[in-house]
Amino acid sequence: MTAVERKIPHDSAREHVTGEAVYVDDMPPSRGELIVDFLWSPVAHGRIRRLDVEPARNIAGVVALFTHGDLAHNRFGPSQIQDELLIAEDEVRFIGQPVVVIAAENREAVRAAKAAIRLDIDPLPPVFTIDEAKARRDFIGPVRKIARGDVATAFAHAEHVLQGVFKTGGVDQFYLESQAAIAWPGEKGALTVHSSTQNPTEVQDVVAHLLGLPAHKVVVITKRLGGGFGGKECQATHPAAMAALVAHKLKRPARIAYSKDDDMRVTGGRHPFQNDYRVAFTSEGIITAVKVDLYSDGGAFADLSQAVMARAMTHTDNAYWIPNIEITGTVCRTNFPPNTAFRGFGGPQGVSTMENMIEEISLFLHKDPLEIRMRNCYGIEERNTTPYGQIVANNQLPRLMRDIGERADFRRRTAAVADFNAKSKTHLRGIACSAVKFGISFNTKFLNQANALVNVYLDGTVQVSTGATEMGQGVNTKIKQVVAAELGIDAGLVIVMATSTEKNNNTSATAASSGADMNGSAAADACRRIRARLVEVAARELAARTEDLQPSPSTIAIANGMAFDRRRPQHGIAWRDLVRAAYLQRVSLGERGFYATAGLDWNAEKSSGSPFLYFTNGCAVSEVLIDRFTGSARVLRSDLLMDIGKSINPGIDRGQITGAFFQGLGWLTNEEKRYAPTGELLTYSPTTYKVPNIQDLPQVFNVDWIENDTNTLNLRSSKAVGEPPLLLAISVYCAIKNALSFVSGSEIPKIDAPCTGEEILMRLTEYARKNARKPQESAASA
Amino acid sequence: MSGNCTRTSGRPLSTQHSVLSTSGYPDESMTIRDHIRFTINGREKSVGGRAAFLTLANYLREQGATGTKVVCAEGDCGACSVLVRHGSGDFMVVNSCIQSLLQLDGCSIVTVEGIADGDSLHPVQQSMIDHYGSQCGYCTPGFVVAMAGLTEAGQPLDEQAVKDGLTGNLCRCTGYEPIVKAALATNAAAAPRLRDRYPGIEDDHRSVLIEADGRAFFAPISLGEAIRFKRDHATATILQGGTDVGVWVNKRDFNAPAMLSLAKINELGEISFEESRIVVGANVSLTEFEAAVRDTIPELHGILRIFGSPQIKNAGTLVGNIANGSPIADTLPYLFVAGAELELAGAGGIRRVPVERFYRGYKTFDLNPDEIITRVVVPVVTTKADRVLRLYKVSRRTDLDISAFTAAILLRVDEGRIAAAKIAYGGVAPVVMRMPKLEAFLAGKRLEPETFEEAGAIARGEVSPISDVRGSREYRLQLCENILQKFYFDAFTEPVPIEIAGFRVGQAFQPVPDGPAGKPVLHQGRP
Repeated sequence: MTAVERKIPHDSAREHVTGEAVYVDDMPPSRGELIVDFLWSPVAHGRIRRLDVEPARNIAGVVALFTHGDLAHNRFGPSQIQDELLIAEDEVRFIGQPVVVIAAENREAVRAAKAAIRLDIDPLPPVFTIDEAKARRDFIGPVRKIARGDVATAFAHAEHVLQGVFKTGGVDQFYLESQAAIAWPGEKGALTVHSSTQNPTEVQDVVAHLLGLPAHKVVVITKRLGGGFGGKECQATHPAAMAALVAHKLKRPARIAYSKDDDMRVTGGRHPFQNDYRVAFTSEGIITAVKVDLYSDGGAFADLSQAVMARAMTHTDNAYWIPNIEITGTVCRTNFPPNTAFRGFGGPQGVSTMENMIEEISLFLHKDPLEIRMRNCYGIEERNTTPYGQIVANNQLPRLMRDIGERADFRRRTAAVADFNAKSKTHLRGIACSAVKFGISFNTKFLNQANALVNVYLDGTVQVSTGATEMGQGVNTKIKQVVAAELGIDAGLVIVMATSTEKNNNTSATAASSGADMNGSAAADACRRIRARLVEVAARELAARTEDLQPSPSTIAIANGMAFDRRRPQHGIAWRDLVRAAYLQRVSLGERGFYATAGLDWNAEKSSGSPFLYFTNGCAVSEVLIDRFTGSARVLRSDLLMDIGKSINPGIDRGQITGAFFQGLGWLTNEEKRYAPTGELLTYSPTTYKVPNIQDLPQVFNVDWIENDTNTLNLRSSKAVGEPPLLLAISVYCAIKNALSFVSGSEIPKIDAPCTGEEILMRLTEYARKNARKPQESAASA
Repeated sequence: MSGNCTRTSGRPLSTQHSVLSTSGYPDESMTIRDHIRFTINGREKSVGGRAAFLTLANYLREQGATGTKVVCAEGDCGACSVLVRHGSGDFMVVNSCIQSLLQLDGCSIVTVEGIADGDSLHPVQQSMIDHYGSQCGYCTPGFVVAMAGLTEAGQPLDEQAVKDGLTGNLCRCTGYEPIVKAALATNAAAAPRLRDRYPGIEDDHRSVLIEADGRAFFAPISLGEAIRFKRDHATATILQGGTDVGVWVNKRDFNAPAMLSLAKINELGEISFEESRIVVGANVSLTEFEAAVRDTIPELHGILRIFGSPQIKNAGTLVGNIANGSPIADTLPYLFVAGAELELAGAGGIRRVPVERFYRGYKTFDLNPDEIITRVVVPVVTTKADRVLRLYKVSRRTDLDISAFTAAILLRVDEGRIAAAKIAYGGVAPVVMRMPKLEAFLAGKRLEPETFEEAGAIARGEVSPISDVRGSREYRLQLCENILQKFYFDAFTEPVPIEIAGFRVGQAFQPVPDGPAGKPVLHQGRP
């Protein structure tokens, strides 16, 4: 029985439920360990007039205070735009930007030091909105464009045109474990850094660069993360670098652990987008042209904003073939913490823009929204090229749309909703569908590589090390299964080790849903080569033990912990004995595997090519109930149906779907960042920032996926699943819009995300007033 | 092991060098302990001095028990959940991040490390493993603890009980569905009782006085001692459930020179039912109060159900909710329209003040420095033939969220007309307020939708809310209007039934089968 395609528990489940699982800040303090924290700018934009740390130096327990001059280099960044500073120099660009790094014996001393440091800042005009940044043309990186066909002519000859502005808000990753790192000084100026990061290699690179150390003197270890969701792809680097600075300068162990409040205030989240859209379509609902200008709020520094925008642009087409299309992408610079990766990485913002347009077309034409989606859906043999030139291969979208309509009983329920809304004076219901086509691979081609180390020990047990970081998504469980399946042994013999730059060098972030795909493939590569050697050994051993049997590697099989020759399957050699025999014959029992995703091609300047190995797809139907008097909304039922290929672990994958959907739900409903006029974040704790709660579970929640074993391009015909289901929550947004359409009279309702109760009530009130004021007009236009 | 603490280093107070010694407190028991005693996973602890002022979560983590996580440090995420048992009571789940050790004298505490019995996992732990209830694992200890607490009663768990029991725990990974499945698959009847493994501690009926770094904490066993302390330390902070004080300590470096706990004064833990009223002592938790009004005041019970998490309700008290004086305190609108009274005990004796007149402005009270709120007298007011009561709480998230707006609407009706109205709104002024103009407008009006539409304009004119992080001024004004119409339809019309997939909401949960590509399966939630 193979170890894959099975529900085995999460690799760390037992440690999770007993409290044994160790996270960075759970590690016991080592001798002489210092607490690291930092004083940050309380001003969103300004010039430092005076910084005097001297009053803090004499405080008992304060050991050292570092400013930018204490770094060998201060400038870094995850993209080619190396514009970020670890510690502010003369100008401060956001509230939360580090100004002084504090090393102290205890937290009381840290607090006292913060109070004692004199920091005077002359304010400069801040930019807090996309509109302000557009007016000042203050952008990060170049404006990119994807174009196909003749948009101008298509609009000129359009039967119908709709246009508008579609906004989605910023969201905090709200990983439960806040950013944390511990740095230990070593011999020869070396450092070992334990970091809760999705990207140990980046931490290694940045620490080495900022401290002026060669890379080989910095080892970064990541055992596990208490959640990442993109928030620890780049921004785990800052705390790690601060701890490393202290450890390097003072030769003492150093620990930094953000409080949740500080974490929410100083780190970036999902990019708010404000998109201008225009869509042309026929009376049958066929889209003939789309023009979308995407604008994101990148925050103060580049971070990954350009890459996020690239994904938004390559996902604005979503599941639909559009002959004439033009998409531009502009990253706006504001005075907020740099926005960064967050599960979906721009995909949700692009896809929701398209789904909103489709919803508006169906409302405008009074046609079934699922039908509109099916009419515009990418074809199997034709109408199957994306605007950036990639063929939508192995396309399961038409099947998913057909199936979700049946499974969710969409048309009958649509009628029931209309009937209810006509009768109920207290509540409104809304129902909608949405689709997702999510490209799998990093847009940046060179990131699509991974390596793995597999060691087989003399008792037959196996250690695997890869660059993947375990942050809850179950990548270690899947890699364990893949390794066991490749070697033909029980998964219980395999342990996936803590991620370390010492074992796996030059790795990519565990991101873009690609962790299991790439690292699993690299591990499989290593296993295959070990296995090939073991097959040789087995052939010899079996021949030696069996009369009239010549060694024949090509007929050797290893399965269920036994090696045997298919010609004499009754004579086997146990895995452990085989390993022992290989050792005695001086055959290597370790291997390093490598994987580079084949066939990718992306030109960032031209925004064209085939950046993705394949697409993960899905469809959803959601129904909401809204209180007409308070605007409070809840999801009554959601049906999710996906194409995730052949699942390596259905239990893990199902959890990825439900969890991602919930994060999408928060993004579009109740998670809202509110700011003071000074740019200070007001919603920096769960008291005021409301992630979904257990009571927000839809009352009916159907989660399923189709059988599809054709994705042979990828590891064991599986598909990546981490991000795509998040976008299925767009069905909830569309359902709220659908509900509002019952009270918005002749106009198409507009609502910005997040659709909080307040936002919904404001729209309900607006439509009630309009329709009370001019009943004759709306009757005439209808 | 319980009731067998042998440490008796408490000396008569008068012999100690004490910040209190100048006042000379005669102590009925003649001994005061200078430390608190409790057990953690069955192991006895006694803590005095500076360490006693730590939060339980920080204490645990400093002791190396790092299974308990601190995330929000303000009781809103449940990652730090532990079970606490006072004396021989039941184990109750609380947030250890905002529980001071000072509150835990005489308690038996169980952390995530104590849920399994050696290598033998508790059924909720095995079920969480089997149902993929953990992903990153950081919230998991809190969920496991809360879930184990749910099984203590030995009763089968339905979906609603599971959701209500886990409302105080946030998970960012799973979407909760696997956790609900894990809880429902647990055979609570077969679960081992933690209360059998971890017995309670017997009360030694001694007051506790702990001093360190110029701070004093006093937990007397008699009200007289408490009042004397309050008289001499007018600024003393009363530490009861700690659901506010704990947050101040964590977030505002709150450091009171004197703290007083009433927890050991047994008479204040009583809840008594008198003729058409309930008298609630200062130590009565919101959970106990919620149970007390379940059958007597169902409207208030409905609000208490969504008031907050079990963790908060188990620690927090009704008196604390009143004494905090928040304009959005969820119990206040009811207490206003029902005419509840507070019993205040001070050096000069006992007096009563209507709750409505207790508030003089934002967090300022009709309370003398030597006075302590000892009881609340809660009249039983509920919907009857000629009387209609509805309570409302509007917040961003329905559950476990601080309100943007609250309301209590109580009408006496007579032959299709409103004979009299009592209305209180919260979240629209610095204090919860009665709405006299609105009440006067409604009196004598016909019970018809137009009445409540017109009343909306009156309500809007009577308040002046602010914009804050929970909602804009305009949002609140609109709610002031709309809630009256909502009230009319709630109270006097039949709702249009909501059917989902042919199942009526409230049907039994059907677990989802294993494996990919199974048939879609419906599960049902609460109405």
